[in-house]
Amino acid sequence: MQVTLKIFRFNPEKDRKFHYETYTLEAEPTERVLDLLERVKGYHDGTFTFRRSCAHGVCGSDAMRINGRNRLACKTLVQDVGERITIEPLLGLRVIKDLVVDMEPFFENYRKVLPYFINESPLPEDGRERLQSPEERARFDDTTKCILCAACTTSCPSFWASDDYLGPAALVAAHRFIFDSRDEAAAQRLQIVAETSGLARCHTVFNCTMACPREIQITKAIGELKMATITGKLD
Amino acid sequence: MMKGRNLPLNQRGLNFEMLMWYFTRLSALAMYVLVLVAVIGALLMGARTQMNLADVLRWAFMPNSIHVQSTNVPDLAPWATTFWKVSGSLMLLLAASHGVHGVVVVLDDYFAQKWVRQLVRALSILFLVPMSIIGLYVLWTS
Repeated sequence: MQVTLKIFRFNPEKDRKFHYETYTLEAEPTERVLDLLERVKGYHDGTFTFRRSCAHGVCGSDAMRINGRNRLACKTLVQDVGERITIEPLLGLRVIKDLVVDMEPFFENYRKVLPYFINESPLPEDGRERLQSPEERARFDDTTKCILCAACTTSCPSFWASDDYLGPAALVAAHRFIFDSRDEAAAQRLQIVAETSGLARCHTVFNCTMACPREIQITKAIGELKMATITGKLD
Repeated sequence: MMKGRNLPLNQRGLNFEMLMWYFTRLSALAMYVLVLVAVIGALLMGARTQMNLADVLRWAFMPNSIHVQSTNVPDLAPWATTFWKVSGSLMLLLAASHGVHGVVVVLDDYFAQKWVRQLVRALSILFLVPMSIIGLYVLWTS
């Protein structure tokens, strides 16, 4: 089949303003959008710039807007998006070049929620791992799946409005550790996510849940954090 | 087995921002209840035959006897009780604070600078307090 790719282009060294370029390619319906982007870069314009790494939906590098919706190019098949495909960078972050955006505001918010295991208690007497039941592990299983692709945060209108809103991805990271029975910094993280630019700015739009390529129930996780601030229950 | 993990009240991050978030949700539910009470009350007291839709809606959102003075309701006494004044006052205070807080939240999306947000909050309080006092004065002196 013949596919028409309309791609957002911006070269800060040449362009004062972004523009779109159109490429017509032969493609199989079962090919991925990432394959088409590689073909554009390899055979049409070597200056075309985008991020990609594992190409198998694990690294989260190639999140972009495909036909107006945040997706991973490596997990999106041509047959799922049709013969006319518009490719644009993620919204709400500064475009550096073509599809590459400045991820720093995203990671800055991520770092704010202390996204790492905190436990100052002495190790168990046998010196081995801190044990956890399957039920305790299941409590935060969904939010362990995040790959930090930023598809959720950059689909969120509250984040578009203000960089300082923590955003869904940071709240997912907070959820992952707050509900971990082995972690001891839940109170500290709840204080952080309850600040002015945290939980209360989630208006349950559900864009994040729809955008997540890992199908994490993000709005539900944020709801659980909201409930935790009032009930204090962490299990 | 999962062991119960509970945080004490002062460690839950339950700050003013989160309290207002809960208040906005709960006040919406409370307003539904108040509207139902007011509309049912109005219907029981004669609105079925003596008030048009606009009067019923005014009664629903501001149950106050002056809202029926211009209608054909012959007896205003049942409308001017303390019950309806309290009900009207609750509706006024909940609606005003719910609405003004909603506006503040929306404006936060347009003003990211901290000082502008503080200014918006100060202006919203300046608006909310006198308007609530005027509303209460009308309700309790009519």
